[in-house]
Amino acid sequence: MIALSVDVLEKTFAGAIRWLLRGRRGASITRGEVLRQLYQIGNRSLLFVCVTLGFLGMVLVFQTCLQVNRITGDLSQVGAEFIKILVHEFGPSLTAMMLATRVGAGIAAEIGSMVVTEQIDALRMNGVDPVDYLIVPRFLASLVMTGALTTIGVGAAILMGALTAYYSFHLNPVVFLDPSHVRLGDLATGVMKCAAYGAAVPIVAGICGLAARGGSEGVGTATTRAVISASFVVILLDFFLSGFALFTFQRGGL
Amino acid sequence: MKAVQLGFEALGAAALALFDEAGGMALLAWRVLVGLFKLELDWRELMRNLYKMGVQSLPIVILTAFFTGGIMVIQSGIFIRRFGAYGLLGFGAGYATLREVGPILIGLMFSGRVGANNAAELGTMTVTEQLDGLRALSIDPIPFLIVPRVVGMMIALFCLTVLGDVVAISGGALFGKLLLNVELSSFLHSFADNLKPWDLSIGLVKAVVFGLAISITSCHFGTSVKGGAVGVGRAVNNAVVAAAVAIMISDNLITMVLR
Repeated sequence: MIALSVDVLEKTFAGAIRWLLRGRRGASITRGEVLRQLYQIGNRSLLFVCVTLGFLGMVLVFQTCLQVNRITGDLSQVGAEFIKILVHEFGPSLTAMMLATRVGAGIAAEIGSMVVTEQIDALRMNGVDPVDYLIVPRFLASLVMTGALTTIGVGAAILMGALTAYYSFHLNPVVFLDPSHVRLGDLATGVMKCAAYGAAVPIVAGICGLAARGGSEGVGTATTRAVISASFVVILLDFFLSGFALFTFQRGGL
Repeated sequence: MKAVQLGFEALGAAALALFDEAGGMALLAWRVLVGLFKLELDWRELMRNLYKMGVQSLPIVILTAFFTGGIMVIQSGIFIRRFGAYGLLGFGAGYATLREVGPILIGLMFSGRVGANNAAELGTMTVTEQLDGLRALSIDPIPFLIVPRVVGMMIALFCLTVLGDVVAISGGALFGKLLLNVELSSFLHSFADNLKPWDLSIGLVKAVVFGLAISITSCHFGTSVKGGAVGVGRAVNNAVVAAAVAIMISDNLITMVLR
């Protein structure tokens, strides 16, 4: 497992860089495969991400307004602070948790089924490296699409949050939709988190898929392990990147 | 014209599939409820499931909760440092953890570990025709397989959330001292003085409902698998996605109703 992980990590980054530098000549990775993965990972997750993030926005605003009403009763800052924390924390992290479940499980199930039906061995026999052929396109697609989906998800959460604040607490949307508290450091933290999560999820899920053994039971186990490992890696990265941001951007007043 | 027709066809197919799955889950939930009222469940299977779902999920839940506490302290710390209100750290981190973030993150991890595992197990049993085998022996799979899992997941997630809350608050206190230099006693005082038992109970109500949602989705998708190893993988995928949506929606409903 450890040897496989090191192998996949090394080959994924090397393959991705090679592909980006040399374009279509980069061995077995085709542009069509990357586009197909962009569609699979991005477009097919769009509804899921919008629904979950929209509901998250509703519940966060509801809880915050409830609490602020109990203490000060001045709701004018809720929107600005909500947008700030959404940009640097909940937007990227919850989108990535959702993608870890949907995309992570999908990648592991697909690659795991290929392993147990010996399609991976067939690839190797044809001189094609399974990491280059299967994981690198998913890695590139996930890197791009995590950022795109986070942006859309944050938009959905802000929209639903503004509606909740208006209908439940009669807060004017013009007051709510105030992005003035978002600093450069918040944006940088959000982008950093998106990149880290987008890179981690397909690699972790790919490793779990390639490690599948046995028949349909093995595919199930691999998928389960992919979901749990990818989600945990997201939480771990969130912790370390938030701590990093606390001591650099926040302290520097950015 | 053709494109419009195709668009409507796709919309209709998606809606039909959605209602198909939702109806299947509602039917399953109803049969589980009936089985529960008649106390038709296999107690030995329930104990085995409680061990597998509860005890064996302990490490991942404790780790998740520990880091969740840390994340919440860091996030509250950003506000608190701006206003200089270090005395409110325990309150801010505790409120968010107990009511919202704790149950959701533990629920999502539980869905990944136990829900996915359950869907995979039931899916494997379905594609290897073991469920048909049970029926051929005139054993109803609902009380024998499904009811113990549903009850097991609700009890296990409740207990894990209680434990996870404790770990998250302790982790929060520890990281508050390490990262923000807030004394443990001041953290715990601000936690205990400002939060009511209601804040804890609302999170625990959520945990039980999430357990129900995770178990129904995973049992439904597990038992309706079609077609070999590929089908099992797809069922696990669908189960975790449906569980995540169900968690978010029920979280909203509970928050709005119970406040």
